[in-house]
Amino acid sequence: MKVEPAGAELLRVARDELLEKLLPKLPDAERYAARMVANAMAIAARELARGPSATLDTRRLSRGIRAGEHDEPGQAALLRETLRDLTRARLAVSNPRILEAKGNP
Amino acid sequence: MDIPVTDLRDRVQRFLGQVTGGDVVSMTGWERLSGGAIQENVGVTVEIAGGPCAGTHRWVVRSDAPSAVAASHSRAQEFALLTAVHAAGVRVPRPLWLCEDPPLPSFFVMERVAGAAAGHRLVKDDTLVPDRDRLAADLGENLARLHQVKPLASDLPFLGSPPPQPSHERVAAYRSSLDSLGASGVNPVLEWGLRWCERHAGGAVESVLLHRDYRTGNYLVHEGRLAAVLDWEFAGWGDALEDIGWFFARCWRFGQAARVAGGIGPAEAFLEGYAGAGGRRVTLGETRYWQVMAHIRWAVIALQQAERHRSGAQSSLELALTAHIVPELEWEILDLTEDA
Repeated sequence: MKVEPAGAELLRVARDELLEKLLPKLPDAERYAARMVANAMAIAARELARGPSATLDTRRLSRGIRAGEHDEPGQAALLRETLRDLTRARLAVSNPRILEAKGNP
Repeated sequence: MDIPVTDLRDRVQRFLGQVTGGDVVSMTGWERLSGGAIQENVGVTVEIAGGPCAGTHRWVVRSDAPSAVAASHSRAQEFALLTAVHAAGVRVPRPLWLCEDPPLPSFFVMERVAGAAAGHRLVKDDTLVPDRDRLAADLGENLARLHQVKPLASDLPFLGSPPPQPSHERVAAYRSSLDSLGASGVNPVLEWGLRWCERHAGGAVESVLLHRDYRTGNYLVHEGRLAAVLDWEFAGWGDALEDIGWFFARCWRFGQAARVAGGIGPAEAFLEGYAGAGGRRVTLGETRYWQVMAHIRWAVIALQQAERHRSGAQSSLELALTAHIVPELEWEILDLTEDA
């Protein structure tokens, strides 16, 4: 059995250490950088913890949107659902607070 | 024989002696001010004896940063712009003198304006902004004065000719930016936003002078009032609503989403100020189109910055994290285009 903590868990405790023990000791000028480091660690931990993401040919989709293939109202409504799903999955890694704040429509 | 003076500080001191017609007795407090990544602002206190400028002055020297990019205006152009908008009554640091001495980098000297710029403080700290409606109105009034500057009546040839259809011109420009990013520029939500902007574009509009980065964080507030607008490097001709949409966009409210006018105050106070100072009467609904465009623009810039890190051109945690702002901007684009 593997007893070493997984990557996401290591990042979590390392981030707590940074925010609780190190950050208060830093001069004001360095705190912004420390917060950026903490943010990067949180993003990386969420990325490690998430499941496999759906595959979709975004290049082809992008080209179709630009060419007006999804303009018709019925098409557009369908497309918006697809786009919401795509962005929601990336927000879950980059900034999940947005989803919490808006109630995840 | 004279040794060529290349150090900026020495050049400034010598230059001030020439233009002020007095003796530069001392130049102290040479301090880098927080400013753009493209230009460098240095604050100085200068004591001059004799001549019309005798006395002690607090000035700012603006020069190119070592990592200057080609997309922004030159110092000479920026000096001409500041002079034009200052004459139009826009609150800016008063431009004083321009020094062009090729091949050395150009710089100019302007008055130093006191005040606070940090966006996250201005939106939260009521001691900095005791009357939020008043400051929002100041910002609207000031923008209206800027928008009185029109292409035909001004001498700013480096801004090029005004686009006949600014929204189509913007859509084409952002598409081209995405295309030049290659795989990093493949983004269906931004394509959706751009297509939406293309389909909802209005007709031809009269172009006015835009600041193009008029937002909280880019102006100084002193004793609760607008003291000066900074960072003019993106100014150009376009639709007046573009500047208002950029100012209102949620991504520039610094977390104070309910205060539509830049996280500072209500949209109504800003728009009242705008209409009261010679701008046209604009409704909040009319700004939605350019709020969509604002989020697209910020997303494109964020992708470009992230690409600088990804490509290895400039390894930087800050640039790498910028990519993670993009999904939030996409979400807002989807919200704004939901029912239209």
